[in-house]
Amino acid sequence: MLWKRIGLKDFEFPKIHDYKKDYIKIEGKFPKEVKINRISESENKYFDIEFSGVGDKFTSFAKKYYNAGIQLRLPRNTKIVEPVKLEFHMDENNPTLVDKNLIIAEEGSEVNIIMDYYSNEKIETLHNGLTVIYAKENATVNIIKIQRLGDSSQSFDSNIAYVEGNGKVNWISVELGSYISGSNYRTYLDGEASGSNLSSIYLGDGIRKMDLEYTMIHKGPRSISNIETKGVLKDNSKKVFRGNLDFKRGSRHSKGVEEEYVILLDPTVKSDSIPALLCDEDDVEGEHAASAGQIDENKLFYLMSRGLDERESKKLVVEASFRPIIDRIPYKYLQEIIFDEIERRLIDA
Amino acid sequence: MERKKTYIEDIDRGIYDIKNDFTYRYKTDKGLTEDIIMEISREKNEPEWMRDFRLKSLEIYNNKPIPTWGADLSGLDIDNIITYIRPDTDMKHSWDDVPEDIKITFELLGIPQAERESLAGVGAQYDSEVVYHNIKQELIDQGIIYTDMETALKEYEDVVKEYFMKLIPPNDHKFAALHGAVWSGGSFVYVPEGVQVDIPLQSYFRLNAPGAGQFEHTLIIVEKGAKLHFIEGCSAPMYRVNNLHAGCVELFVKENATLRYSTIENWSKNMYNLNTKRAVVDKNGTIEWISGSFGSKVSMLYPMSILRGEGARSEFTGITFAAEGQHLDTGTKVVHAAPHTTSTVNSKSISKDGGYAFYRGLLRVAENAYGCKSTVSCESLMLDNISKSDTLPIIELNNDNIDIGHEAKIGRISDEAIFYLMSRGISEEEAKAMIVRGFVEPITKELPLEYAVELNNLINIELEGTIG
Amino acid sequence: MEKYLLNINDLKVTIEDKEILKGLNLQIKEGETHVIMGPNGSGKSTLAYTLMGHPSYEITQGGIQFDGEIINEMKADERARKGIFLSFQYPEEIPGITVEEFLRTSKTSITGEMQKIIPFRRLLKTKMEHLGMDESYASRYLNLGFSGGEKKKNEILQMSILEPKLAILDETDSGLDVDAIKIVAESVMKIKDEKCSILVITHYNKLLEYLEPDYVHILMDGKIVKTGGVELVNQIDEIGYENIKAEFSNI
Repeated sequence: MLWKRIGLKDFEFPKIHDYKKDYIKIEGKFPKEVKINRISESENKYFDIEFSGVGDKFTSFAKKYYNAGIQLRLPRNTKIVEPVKLEFHMDENNPTLVDKNLIIAEEGSEVNIIMDYYSNEKIETLHNGLTVIYAKENATVNIIKIQRLGDSSQSFDSNIAYVEGNGKVNWISVELGSYISGSNYRTYLDGEASGSNLSSIYLGDGIRKMDLEYTMIHKGPRSISNIETKGVLKDNSKKVFRGNLDFKRGSRHSKGVEEEYVILLDPTVKSDSIPALLCDEDDVEGEHAASAGQIDENKLFYLMSRGLDERESKKLVVEASFRPIIDRIPYKYLQEIIFDEIERRLIDA
Repeated sequence: MERKKTYIEDIDRGIYDIKNDFTYRYKTDKGLTEDIIMEISREKNEPEWMRDFRLKSLEIYNNKPIPTWGADLSGLDIDNIITYIRPDTDMKHSWDDVPEDIKITFELLGIPQAERESLAGVGAQYDSEVVYHNIKQELIDQGIIYTDMETALKEYEDVVKEYFMKLIPPNDHKFAALHGAVWSGGSFVYVPEGVQVDIPLQSYFRLNAPGAGQFEHTLIIVEKGAKLHFIEGCSAPMYRVNNLHAGCVELFVKENATLRYSTIENWSKNMYNLNTKRAVVDKNGTIEWISGSFGSKVSMLYPMSILRGEGARSEFTGITFAAEGQHLDTGTKVVHAAPHTTSTVNSKSISKDGGYAFYRGLLRVAENAYGCKSTVSCESLMLDNISKSDTLPIIELNNDNIDIGHEAKIGRISDEAIFYLMSRGISEEEAKAMIVRGFVEPITKELPLEYAVELNNLINIELEGTIG
Repeated sequence: MEKYLLNINDLKVTIEDKEILKGLNLQIKEGETHVIMGPNGSGKSTLAYTLMGHPSYEITQGGIQFDGEIINEMKADERARKGIFLSFQYPEEIPGITVEEFLRTSKTSITGEMQKIIPFRRLLKTKMEHLGMDESYASRYLNLGFSGGEKKKNEILQMSILEPKLAILDETDSGLDVDAIKIVAESVMKIKDEKCSILVITHYNKLLEYLEPDYVHILMDGKIVKTGGVELVNQIDEIGYENIKAEFSNI
């Protein structure tokens, strides 16, 4: 991630305190073969990977100085429907969070994970995370990350997944908080017919700056990827979107699609997009589309003619744009949290 | 007025590979020193300010690093490129007066023929000097100036001084500085207010000497409400030594004026093509780029449009064909620096036999550029499994009142499409060629017919042996 | 021994490791009209593609003899030149090439004679009129943006220009309204008159109301299980494929 675009030059990590709050929340009973524990040094070998994420500085820091995180291993053919929830709700006593997470889904297993990062807007907090996922053959990992830290926070999140044959890793990323947010999601589609979907929504307001990088690397034949990003920017916010679809030689019959749409609400916003398409294999289909603009005047007029004021109308249009992605989050309470946050930032601001 | 069609028959690569014996009137030593720059300026009888400009550029050149991004330029040894070569002739106005061997080269390339039939004026440059320049009398009567840069420097010194390297200053990048120091030849075109030039003007550059460099400077000014179509063609025969092309094209499109700039770059495969082209467009003016990049070993080519007047417009249509041993890093840049400006980009690339086509684009909307619209479409076709094609567009938006759309696609010729054509009796080879021609059709239809024919022929040459 | 235009013996065809045709037999004489009907997945399109020479379909057994020659190994364009025409169920869109240019190139290739622009244009215009197609289609890019019905008409237009010996119509009636089917049927009847053999692959019987098939075959599970006259069509209508299949599993 090149910081020059969002202007974060000499970043230094503050002192990291222990993270004392509980965050692992599991509803219902899990089979006892499923092992969920706090992350420990015993799993270091899985983190011995070449991955810069949002920046070498950040990933190496997370590897060494973590103060939270889980290691989760699902045995073969074990499917869990109830989600594994990690609620990182920071406060004055826990203002620094460095989470290091490892998820290994053995053959044929399935798991849903929710990671919710929250803090009150007044408190200055720092979050730096690193999540590594291994999805073996025929395994499915669905992971939802919601970043709704307060306006005085900084958040950095690096994520990487390795997917084997017929495996799937589906990411949903919701970026709603922090005044500086850098996130990086990289998926290696190693196995034949491996697949990955990444749906993301982001909302920039005030002075927020975001650098979002999503990468799909197709190595196995017949692999499929889909990146869909929807965003809205207002006030003096700025965002950089980097989408990378990379077809390596040997990934024949693969298909990758990347789409990014952003609604711009004020003339003072800045939006950069770099949707890259790299191709070293001829027998693939790769496409990307990016578009940006204001809310359609006609839509606005129609809603206002039905009695909604301008703010309310804009909010509705933004919600309509986000809805297809929010609908993919199968948890009502999370959907409500997201809609509330959107309302707060678009109406109450 | 009926335009007769001119066919350039029998173009095969062989024609481009004709090499004439190397007789030159004057040649600088290899490499770059202050003395050489002074020599060049002296030979040309230039005014003092130009000499100083060259020296200043040399200084900048020496202080700038070679760009580390883009294609690999390590095979380029600039010190060894012979900078300045004057062919053994003075400039001629009548084609008959041009020396035989030079004439034959251009004749085989179809240039005089094309001129007779469908062009308003032609300039032919052989190595560093323009050997032939002709413009129809009726255009001269309308006040249009079309001459070589050296003559322009003498006869229209004030105008040249006002515009020369203002759009692409020497400190823009290393090769702009190099150009500023050693530039030679090129065209100067001035179209006065309100004049519409209906038939295209053409320039043709030919690099004959091995190990030489081509640094022509094209400066075109289209005044308010005027209109011009300018065609530039380039080629060089194949040598084992590397040649360098670091020309500059500066286009000034004034209010309500329209300029169409078409290029077919067909340098041979030992050429490093590092051309810089830039246009600045004023209120309600339009720049249209039509670009076909075929040859050269390495190309770094990003025509750039700066839309600085309200309502200005830029349209770019281009095709890049990268075959064996070629790394073509091309693209376009558009800067929307005023409100209600519009731009479109339609870029296609084909790569085969290990060729590498890289599209690099920049679309920037400045803070004050409200109400602007842009659509970009990039399509890449890979013809086999050893080639590479990458697309890296950068979109920077600093205003909300805009409508921006970008899309890119990568793929190969679909088997189903080939089968369909074959089921209608068309052979496999012909089916592939048809599909590729269909792919580049948006570009060929913008070119004057003889160029469209040439382009199709080039595609056929390039496609030979693509079966399997 | 009777002379057949098309003689298929014991044909087995595999695609992507799956065997679709499992020993198919079919003989068509010059000028005859045959209809193949069958449920989805029975192998109808496989047969059509195999006859035309699609490279993804592999013949693992048996032979296809056309006009006295074994054509198993021939490529699609060679077969087209021999006189086989396939009207595709899903015709490809080829941007950048107009209908006219394409057809002129195709006819030149098939006949071996250079088609001159003006006479060809006249021929094209006439054929288009017969099919109720607007002149403007000639200068549109091949199938690009055409509706399903327009694409089918375009296929029939090609057929009437290329004058094949055997026309294989793969689900040509699907996507066409009542009027369009009538027009298409007329064109098909016309080439039938010129001794062209027709092989109609369908699962509707709309087109059949106009043509008078000589034989109707039922294709199921990769083989032709029953052959008869037009009355078979009604039988299928009444009792459905499942029951016909049941008839056979009892034998």
